[in-house]
Amino acid sequence: MIRYVLTRLGQSVLVVMLTVSTVFVLIRMAPGDPATAFAAPNATTEDLAEIRTQLGLDGSIPSQYLTFLGQLFTGDLGTSYSFRAPAFEVVLDRVPYTITLALAAILLTALIALPLGIWMASRADTTRETGANIATVAAQSMPEFWSGIMLLTVFSVLIPVLPSSGFTTWGGLVLPAVTVALLQIALISRLVRREMVTNLTSPYLTVARAHGFGERRLVWGYALGNSIIPVLTALGTRFAAMLNGVVVVEVVFAWPGVGSLVVRALETRDYPLIQATVLVTAALAILVQLLIDLVYPLLDPRVRLGKATAR
Amino acid sequence: MMSRRTLLKALGVAGGAVAAGALSGCAGPTGGPPPGSVTLGLNRSLVSLDNKLNQFDAAVTVQRAVRQGLTRIGPDLAPIPVLADRFELTAPTQWTVRLREDVRYSDGTPLEIADIETALAMYQQVSGSYLAAFFPEWPAVVPIDERTFTLETNRPLPVLDYLMANVLITPAAANVPEELQSGVGSGPYTVTASNRGTGDYTLRRNENYWADRPRVDQVQVRFMPEESNRVVALRSGEIDIIDTISPDSAEQLRGLADIQIDHVKGTRLNQLFYNFRKPEDHPLSRASVRQALSFAVDGRRLAEDILAGSVEAARGPVAETLNGSVVCGEYTYDPRRAKQMLEAEGIADGDLNLTLIWETGEFASDTTVMEAVVQMLGDVGVSVRLRQFEPGGDISEWRQGRGGDWDILGNGYASPVGAALPILQGMYGGTPERERTRDTYHGYVNPEVVALLDEAYAEVDPDRRQVITAELQQVVWDSWPSMWAFVPNSVLAYRTRISDVGLEPTNSYELARIGLEA
Repeated sequence: MIRYVLTRLGQSVLVVMLTVSTVFVLIRMAPGDPATAFAAPNATTEDLAEIRTQLGLDGSIPSQYLTFLGQLFTGDLGTSYSFRAPAFEVVLDRVPYTITLALAAILLTALIALPLGIWMASRADTTRETGANIATVAAQSMPEFWSGIMLLTVFSVLIPVLPSSGFTTWGGLVLPAVTVALLQIALISRLVRREMVTNLTSPYLTVARAHGFGERRLVWGYALGNSIIPVLTALGTRFAAMLNGVVVVEVVFAWPGVGSLVVRALETRDYPLIQATVLVTAALAILVQLLIDLVYPLLDPRVRLGKATAR
Repeated sequence: MMSRRTLLKALGVAGGAVAAGALSGCAGPTGGPPPGSVTLGLNRSLVSLDNKLNQFDAAVTVQRAVRQGLTRIGPDLAPIPVLADRFELTAPTQWTVRLREDVRYSDGTPLEIADIETALAMYQQVSGSYLAAFFPEWPAVVPIDERTFTLETNRPLPVLDYLMANVLITPAAANVPEELQSGVGSGPYTVTASNRGTGDYTLRRNENYWADRPRVDQVQVRFMPEESNRVVALRSGEIDIIDTISPDSAEQLRGLADIQIDHVKGTRLNQLFYNFRKPEDHPLSRASVRQALSFAVDGRRLAEDILAGSVEAARGPVAETLNGSVVCGEYTYDPRRAKQMLEAEGIADGDLNLTLIWETGEFASDTTVMEAVVQMLGDVGVSVRLRQFEPGGDISEWRQGRGGDWDILGNGYASPVGAALPILQGMYGGTPERERTRDTYHGYVNPEVVALLDEAYAEVDPDRRQVITAELQQVVWDSWPSMWAFVPNSVLAYRTRISDVGLEPTNSYELARIGLEA
């Protein structure tokens, strides 16, 4: 187990480094000059050259990369051009907001999608399931910016009961979390339904039924347990993706998370901030994946971490 | 080890806790300002409480609430004393300044002459500063007594009182050659909490403020980059004041019972500026062709239909509101005359193909304006290709003529100094030397203009200087630098519970003056 965790951590560091290195090169190859974004519109050529030197942008990409690596190993991710502050600190200021939103959205998803999926599976292919099917397909088809604006219009403008933007009160979390969760609920509930239907029609449950086990016990005690790993994997993957910033929702609700920070960093060609954001969010996403992997054996004793699984 | 059942239970409990939190949020306040507090929604993040590098309109309001200058640009765009009670031109190259008595910073330390000297030194050491470009030379501080000093220059600098309004003063020991993100100032408010990452600041009334006590206890500053967010938040009462709003948003807010919209003629000039780096045989090198193209632009339609009456066509090379500006002429729509003039210049239908470049968000409804211009010029047989740049992209390269060729640039020039002369210098003071490094304003180099600028700067008699400045503007206007130019109004929207906002042409207002209705 410990060896597995260490191996995975080592792989994670490698993945993060590869990701950050790729981003490092790509942003420098993209059009735009951070010096012009940093300086005033009327800055002279001399000013711009001086700023490039100050920002360490006057060397070749390999030399800039070596400098970056050197700083990285001392824990320095550089100074954000637009915030004039350590890039790592700027990102860390935003991370709690993103985690809060992602956590709220994923828990809301789990709370609604699991029972909904189970309900749909237990009534699979019946007329009663049609309504739920239509609702989930509709939720899956709605772009987040549209559902966000609709929710905002209704609950902040027409019936002003919830804040429209930011996170000044807990109420401010409701609309963005619901907006993010809507799509996830649709996706996850359909996944739960599919897994449950597969398990509920599997031979071992047919045998269990023949032995007189109640349907409730079969659903909650057996089928759900065997369906949970793919569902948990999907939830974990969606959660990890949210940690990279729910850009559209953050923009619609002026949510001060990592997503809106990335947009701003890209607009201003803020290289250190882009790198810091990628590093932090990639590390968080990989950590979440690792935690999910560690939970697998708890959910299914047949899974043994670090060894070949015999299923 | 945790069992599967325990894990599922734990997930359920955590989910319930979040749901409870959300529900309690539903029952709580909707995020409006606390009692005795005013919340501002800024369109740009207030990354610092200083302005050594950049100066954004909305930021100025907050920065000046914490840090102050010797003077400030007042409502009539003339400098008014703030930390100085005397700021006078006492010799052609000398201004005498006396600091106001008993001014103290919020930490109780007194304002000293050394703070002014250090501030000037720090502003000079910042590369690429927006404000530094307005200083032809930096003055030297020469103390006379504890409160009085002179600002000495090698050549006359008759607008120094305007320029010094933008230099914010900080205790010398705490000043550095970069934008200050915290620290004390002499202003009516002090910062009690800040989060640079999110752009949120909390200001509290400075109980030791040297002038009239601010009327509002607390000011909260929120960064809301999307205009639609700011409009919705204002409507729902979450924030009290938003600035820099587009005509569309103003239209949405107009007529709402609890929202007030103020308009003031602004100081920024937006323009469709010609590229003056064209070869001599290019049609755009002739002023007559540039003028002819101006006749093809229906400015009234652009101003009233597309920009919803939120702008006024320029009548000179700088905003008419600036001190020292004069009316030089008008942009007239006369497509027949445009065609005649183009034909007289040997340009027939389809001969002239132009490229118009601009950066997204340069001004409100920029894309719609550009598309309309394409159609208007098309009506006189001139085709226009549009090339739009994303913010932070390569437009600077293109402006300097290093990225590619272009003919017309849609952009703007802010005028934070309140006087026409420094703006004329910044835009039209290009010289062959500066053009060698592509540091002129789009290749505009006019020896007659440069000579008049030199003459105006050297003239200490205000009346005589104004005569020269007026002549200078006419020379610029007659060279037809822009196809069309306009001055947008400064527009501010606020909830009616706020009183005495007093929007100024510089798109800022004094936070210390505003009040809250009972």
